[in-house]
Amino acid sequence: MSTGAPETDLGYELVDMMCIAAAREIEDGDAVLVGMGPPLLVCSIAKLVTAPRMAFVTESGPMDWEPPADGRRAPSQIADPILTEGSAMVGDMVDVLGAFVMGGNADAAVLQGAQIDRFGNLNTLLIGSYAAPRRRFPGAGGNVDTGASAKRVITTMPLEPRRFVARVDFRTTAAYIDGPGARKRAGLRPQGPNACVTTKCVFRFDTPDGGETGTCEMVLDGLFEGITVEDVLEIVPWELKVAGEIEQIPPPTEAELAAINSLDADREHRVPGRYS
Amino acid sequence: MPASGRSSASKLMTEREAIARFVNDGDTIYCGFTTVPLGLTYEIIRQRKRRLKAVGASNVLGASLLALAGCVDRMETGYVSGALFNGPIAEMMRDGRLRYEDYSNLTITLRFMAGALGMPFIPANSFLGTDYLDPDVMGHEHGLAADRRRVDGTTAPNYLVMDSPFAQGEKTVLYPPLKPDAAIFHCQRADEDGNVQAWGPLADSKWALWASKRVIVSAEEIVPASVVRSDPGQTILPGFRVSAVVHNPWGAHPGPVTGYYERDRNLFAKAGQPFRDWETAERFLADWVYGPDDRAAYVEQYRERFGSGLLESLRVANPVAPERPVRYGRR
Repeated sequence: MSTGAPETDLGYELVDMMCIAAAREIEDGDAVLVGMGPPLLVCSIAKLVTAPRMAFVTESGPMDWEPPADGRRAPSQIADPILTEGSAMVGDMVDVLGAFVMGGNADAAVLQGAQIDRFGNLNTLLIGSYAAPRRRFPGAGGNVDTGASAKRVITTMPLEPRRFVARVDFRTTAAYIDGPGARKRAGLRPQGPNACVTTKCVFRFDTPDGGETGTCEMVLDGLFEGITVEDVLEIVPWELKVAGEIEQIPPPTEAELAAINSLDADREHRVPGRYS
Repeated sequence: MPASGRSSASKLMTEREAIARFVNDGDTIYCGFTTVPLGLTYEIIRQRKRRLKAVGASNVLGASLLALAGCVDRMETGYVSGALFNGPIAEMMRDGRLRYEDYSNLTITLRFMAGALGMPFIPANSFLGTDYLDPDVMGHEHGLAADRRRVDGTTAPNYLVMDSPFAQGEKTVLYPPLKPDAAIFHCQRADEDGNVQAWGPLADSKWALWASKRVIVSAEEIVPASVVRSDPGQTILPGFRVSAVVHNPWGAHPGPVTGYYERDRNLFAKAGQPFRDWETAERFLADWVYGPDDRAAYVEQYRERFGSGLLESLRVANPVAPERPVRYGRR
């Protein structure tokens, strides 16, 4: 369990940096499907600091939520009553996962899962085989529907060996499936540019056109301060692609740190080991 | 019932009568999502209903408590609350005591919509490119498809990929309709005719209620019909589709109700997390479900154990009212 004290001498924890770096991936004005867990914190930070004009949407019904001016906190789950006050619309799942997501209106989605693989697919269902799982998680909820149809997916995923695997144990959420052309063959629209933001680095994907061409593999593209390429390579079990020029991700600004610590004062969204 | 849908008799009754009359052993049942009807759920447990199948986009607290108590033995859902603890729920899913079909939030909601609209199936792209389409998944030994083959002799799949008959090269997945025998639901207010007024995120609830043969609603407040009819925009289901109305203040506790109270994190912290292990589950059920006779007694027990102050602290302190109430009327 986290003690709330910084684990580094940087003045913040790496999980804080993961949430802040993911928030920076959201473009101002994006209409965003916000998934369960850390994505709720990520998008609350974006709303307060880096993308105030984004539309914050969760699958249970709220659309274009404006965090209240007083007592600001991130929603604790996708149907938290706090999401009703200040939303432009409160509908249901047919509105959100149907018309908004499947209808092609979600500019981006922020999701977390238990595992991710080299093509960016997520698993939020189980560990082991389907017939005899070693571990069941609560389930995929709307991640399945969102992966199919969001224009772009930003994944938050702590950089841990159990989470980064060559092939997810169960593909609940399709990104580039098994390589170039796979989305189209499966009947899905192009998706991208996707990103996977971890507790040490940012990965992007090698495809210029949402999965049609390129290798569609995960590429190490940016590093947090104090992290080396080797730190990442020793966690990722396949032959990871590394960008020719790696971006040094700037540390949190004062405004970002203030936002994350007031939005998640009890660190509910930053519990180590929490998967979604 | 006259064509106007207005019954002559009030549908208001106790939770005991409502569950006894309208939930049967073997039913397929919807148990809510964003607002959890825990008063009605606990009554199902007390009446020891058996062999229920819980269906919902996400089977949250109520459905998983029904499984712990031995009422639910099958699920079709996109989310199983309590599985994360790797305790009793995960154990029952592994050993076949709790059989299941995995869906997603949208696919279950659309299946309710198909049920409500009388459609033979409904298409969505959700499972394309995923392992849900793996034949081993569709027919796995703990799955309901295996049951259907064994019991009903059907060879129909759970879902089916097809090419669009209209747009060349487009694919979709067809899902069967879902029509629960019964739905239990908790809302902010209802009237004695059964008109259901609910606000806040509705998730799959509106379509689940429309799709269900029998609908049992509990409400924080029972209001005169004139209140409902002064603001019909808040009604999500008309009374003629509702079988029973129960007055249950704190009917979703420890879950939240938009505009009434927040989630209560104290109960499981003090009474134990029922999904952690069987011993805690059994203690929780004995103490908080079988112990009190009804929801009013449950609330009283909570006040006695932990103090009224703790319960009252959950109330929404400053309810937000529309700045400008909507206007209806005529020239």
